[in-house]
Amino acid sequence: MPRRLILGAGVLLLLSRVVMAQTGQKPPVQPPAAPGPTVPSFGSIDFGFRGTGTDIDRAQYERYRDLRNGAASRFLYRKETPSYFVDASAFNVGYRDQQYKLRYDRSKLNFGFLWDSIPTNYSYMSVSPWAVSDTGVLTISSALRQQVQNRTAVGVPCAPGAPPAACGNPTQAAAALANRSIYNQGLSGFDLQLRRDTAAIALNYAATPSVGVNFGFSSASKTGHQPWGASFAFNNANEVPLPIDHRTNDINAGVEWTNQKGMVRLAWDGSFFDNQITTLTWDNPIRATDFNNGLAPPNGPYDPSGYSNGNGPAQGRMALFPNNSMNVVSAMGLYKMPRRTSVNGTLQFTNQSQNDPLIPWTINPLIAQPSVYAIFPHLAQLPRSTADAEVKGLNALVNLNSRPFRRVAFNVRYRYNDRDVQTPTFDATEYVRFDAVPEEVEEGFSHQFDINRQTFDATATYSLNRWGGVRVGYGHDAYERHGRGFSDVGDNIFRLTYDAFANQYVTLRAGYEASRRRGSGFIESGVDYEGVGGTQPSLRYYDEADRNRYRTSLTFSVMPTETVSVNFTLTDGRDSYPEDEFTPGRDQFGLLDADTTAFAVGVNVLPRPQVSFGATYGYETYDALQRSRNAAPQPSPEWFDATRNWTMDNKEKVNTFTLYADFLKAIKRTDIRFVYDFMDSDNAYVHGGPRIQQLDTNTSVTGTSCPTGVSDCFIALPNLTTNWNRFTADVKYFFRSDVGIGFAYWYERLNVRDFATIDANGSVGFNAETGSVRTDYLGGLITGYNPRDYRGNTAFVRLLYLF
Amino acid sequence: MGSIGGVRLFSSVVAVLSLLLAGAIVLVAEQPSGQKPRGSQPTKAQAAAATPPSAYVGDDATCLTCHDTQSYKGTTHARAFNERTPAAKHGCESCHGPGKAHVDAGGDKTKIINLKTLPPQQASETCTTCHDRAKHALWNGSQHDQRNVGCVTCHSVHSPKGEPLLKAQDQMALCSTCHRPIVNKQFRLNHMPVREGKLACSSCHNVHGTSNVKLLKAGTTIDESCTSCHAEKRGPYLWEHAPVTESCTTCHDPHGSNNPRLLVARPPFLCQRCHVTSRHPPTVYDGFVLQNSSNANKIYGRSCVVCHQQIHGSNAPSGKALLR
Repeated sequence: MPRRLILGAGVLLLLSRVVMAQTGQKPPVQPPAAPGPTVPSFGSIDFGFRGTGTDIDRAQYERYRDLRNGAASRFLYRKETPSYFVDASAFNVGYRDQQYKLRYDRSKLNFGFLWDSIPTNYSYMSVSPWAVSDTGVLTISSALRQQVQNRTAVGVPCAPGAPPAACGNPTQAAAALANRSIYNQGLSGFDLQLRRDTAAIALNYAATPSVGVNFGFSSASKTGHQPWGASFAFNNANEVPLPIDHRTNDINAGVEWTNQKGMVRLAWDGSFFDNQITTLTWDNPIRATDFNNGLAPPNGPYDPSGYSNGNGPAQGRMALFPNNSMNVVSAMGLYKMPRRTSVNGTLQFTNQSQNDPLIPWTINPLIAQPSVYAIFPHLAQLPRSTADAEVKGLNALVNLNSRPFRRVAFNVRYRYNDRDVQTPTFDATEYVRFDAVPEEVEEGFSHQFDINRQTFDATATYSLNRWGGVRVGYGHDAYERHGRGFSDVGDNIFRLTYDAFANQYVTLRAGYEASRRRGSGFIESGVDYEGVGGTQPSLRYYDEADRNRYRTSLTFSVMPTETVSVNFTLTDGRDSYPEDEFTPGRDQFGLLDADTTAFAVGVNVLPRPQVSFGATYGYETYDALQRSRNAAPQPSPEWFDATRNWTMDNKEKVNTFTLYADFLKAIKRTDIRFVYDFMDSDNAYVHGGPRIQQLDTNTSVTGTSCPTGVSDCFIALPNLTTNWNRFTADVKYFFRSDVGIGFAYWYERLNVRDFATIDANGSVGFNAETGSVRTDYLGGLITGYNPRDYRGNTAFVRLLYLF
Repeated sequence: MGSIGGVRLFSSVVAVLSLLLAGAIVLVAEQPSGQKPRGSQPTKAQAAAATPPSAYVGDDATCLTCHDTQSYKGTTHARAFNERTPAAKHGCESCHGPGKAHVDAGGDKTKIINLKTLPPQQASETCTTCHDRAKHALWNGSQHDQRNVGCVTCHSVHSPKGEPLLKAQDQMALCSTCHRPIVNKQFRLNHMPVREGKLACSSCHNVHGTSNVKLLKAGTTIDESCTSCHAEKRGPYLWEHAPVTESCTTCHDPHGSNNPRLLVARPPFLCQRCHVTSRHPPTVYDGFVLQNSSNANKIYGRSCVVCHQQIHGSNAPSGKALLR
């Protein structure tokens, strides 16, 4: 708190100085104003028709667009007079991606309006046994559920009559794959899509030459459905179409006072999120009635293993996105001093809060009853009825920038950011897992993830005149956390850059940055201690772990002639997470290192004012190595068994190529534009390590051997590949200076191979993903929204009128 | 800074230094107007204010006599009805300085300010004479300013190709000049709707300087920036997921990814970078499991988040494992 006071006092002191600087301000000498420019007015009507054809996965083709057959429109109107300026536009009127804009400027007033619809189209081929609903209740036919529960029908996901969770070996799995579940009957497809509609206004009023006031309001609603997990047990993963209906209202207001010495701004930002569907209740596809073994607690009436075998409730209930609000009060100041020196800063107080009513521990009536409460007394009532969640934040920035001498500049920056969680700890040492099983756990209290970040950064720049400038910088980031592994982390950063800027024909920017992050206060324990959440003690969370980081970058562009430019960009970075001192001799787990290298080369040619073309090629590699251990917890010896270690090397290569050509009136009365872009990626997930060798040779000595009759229970995952081509052509021909006709053609093709995508025709994505969705697979009921191959074409014919 | 005490000491020292700095600024600025610090030079704004009206030509038409291709007609700067625009002040000379001497000398280039020939930071000083409020207030010392990327590096007052007075047709094209590897991520299968024209670089970033990191314009942290649109994930929740409170970019790459949901790696392998507990989190999920086990559901589709769907935080009392 004292630091907050000091910071607040410092920033306010700075602001007060700027306010004082207003005193005695004289109006600047006003020579005659320049004559007003001629009044330009402009309008265009671009209206016609559009036709779209697609193979297979149309939703991916129009992911954020609406390309249905029908009218295509774009209207523009712009007018400027000596007293006002107006700019209005409308795009794709009446469709799911329509947009309207208006800007109106007068002498002291600027007004802006926006209506924008952005669709997110997941899939038009989705299926679900749950009836698609706009409420927070999703149901499945009780008759089908009863058949599954009675084992009289093909279950989910196993063979007829088999327990749902029993398809854990190749024979049973093959049977499950060969027998589609009962839920493949009567499925109807639906469009899995969302739409965000935003209405916004912005108002700026220049009360005086020095004082400005601004106000803004936006309201964004999001409606539709999105894929959502809704499971009842480890081995039965469900995906449902979650209905979405929420709105966020944002308001901002500010006043600023500016003069030649600097400025002061005071502002308030408020954001209010309102969700119409705050809970989801959904049917269990493998239970029509709550499981009841007739035993007394703690052995029943629920199945104590119900969270793993699916013997759970008939329904589940979960809390969805809670209503919440965020308010920010901020002050900003800038003060200019002699010697090309200025200081600016901000002070922001943030409050986030959320106090939605809490749902019960469970809606399973066999658990929510007195006999269970006798064993689990904590479940008799909630510790509190509402979330009572709150986070207070403080952000302060002071930035001193000076160029006191011709060749020397320096900058000193300090940033303080504090996230202070006020939410009272929630006691869930007794809780209900998956609505299926009451449990008592040792680590059942909620965490308060407080974070305090402080950044100090100082740089000095020495100018080499026409040869550019060299900049040397040092930064220190200090983190203080509660509830994480490392409580305190310091990151020392050194950077060196060179920027050549004096020559407009050659630009060179090069940078090198090295940082060393070290933490302390990690679980200080013996080697037998299990870490947070029962983790291996030598696990490192990579977002806070000790880290050595290197970054280099190079940007070079040259214009050998007035009509040609060539540019080259190279970036290279490496993050490595070294072993630390706390668990000597233990294998370290988590992300060990991550490397990224990218380069791009491009050329742009402008042989004539009417003709331009260019191309860019980019290549990027990403390589990340992580280590894990597949082991049962203590007291099992597996916990310490290094032969159960395995690694995962994620290697990705991406090629990107873009090409464009513009011929604007190069041919009489004709504008022609071509754009082609291409992306190709190959993403490998390569397992390694002793555990993999065991699985690969079935010589496991400590772990579970492969199923009987299987000699090799490791199969490498195939690479994920993505190949995406897009081509657009747009031709406009004007009969007169103001009337023309336009033709456009868009083409896209995606080829994707992804083991995470369920193939429509039976197997998993080792093969091409084509055809309709199979809703059931081993251990799951899914909507099948994942990307597939597609090919899309859209043609436009429009009339053009300029006025 | 290896301990709590160290961090506190560091923060306290820096806080006190900041206070002293602010105090020093006040003291320096409080000098009587007649006492100029040694070596101080007037800013352009101060120089302009001190320049007699006779030094100005006061007529853009005179300038256009020679510089006929350098008009700013039709641009924001030309709207004379707004008293803050150059057109309402000195016209061309608002930015290029008093031009009478330049005209009288027959166009002597040394007697006029040509922003193209100035180092970017010096050119920016002219622009920030007016553009020193609202979103431009934190320009001085911002990341671009430090790297000598000036206003005229990206903007063209006289011959813009895109709005607002950009040197390129749109922001993607402009920003790719230096940030090509970042822009190229837009060509990946999963991306924000920037290519589709629904968002732009400036939807998230204020390249002129912000109080947030990475030049993010909303909020004071990466999370607050992301949740300014994705408010449903803002919480605060009863049960929080630690990396979510730290930074969305721990798991997501907002510029584009070939992994679903803009993830930096594909689940379950992304989750396995941190979750090395017993049993199912560190299980080897390979092709064998995918083809032969009900545990396949942890590889395909939404993977871990099919069950742990409340990965951004849960508000359910039984949501400690983010399952409800």
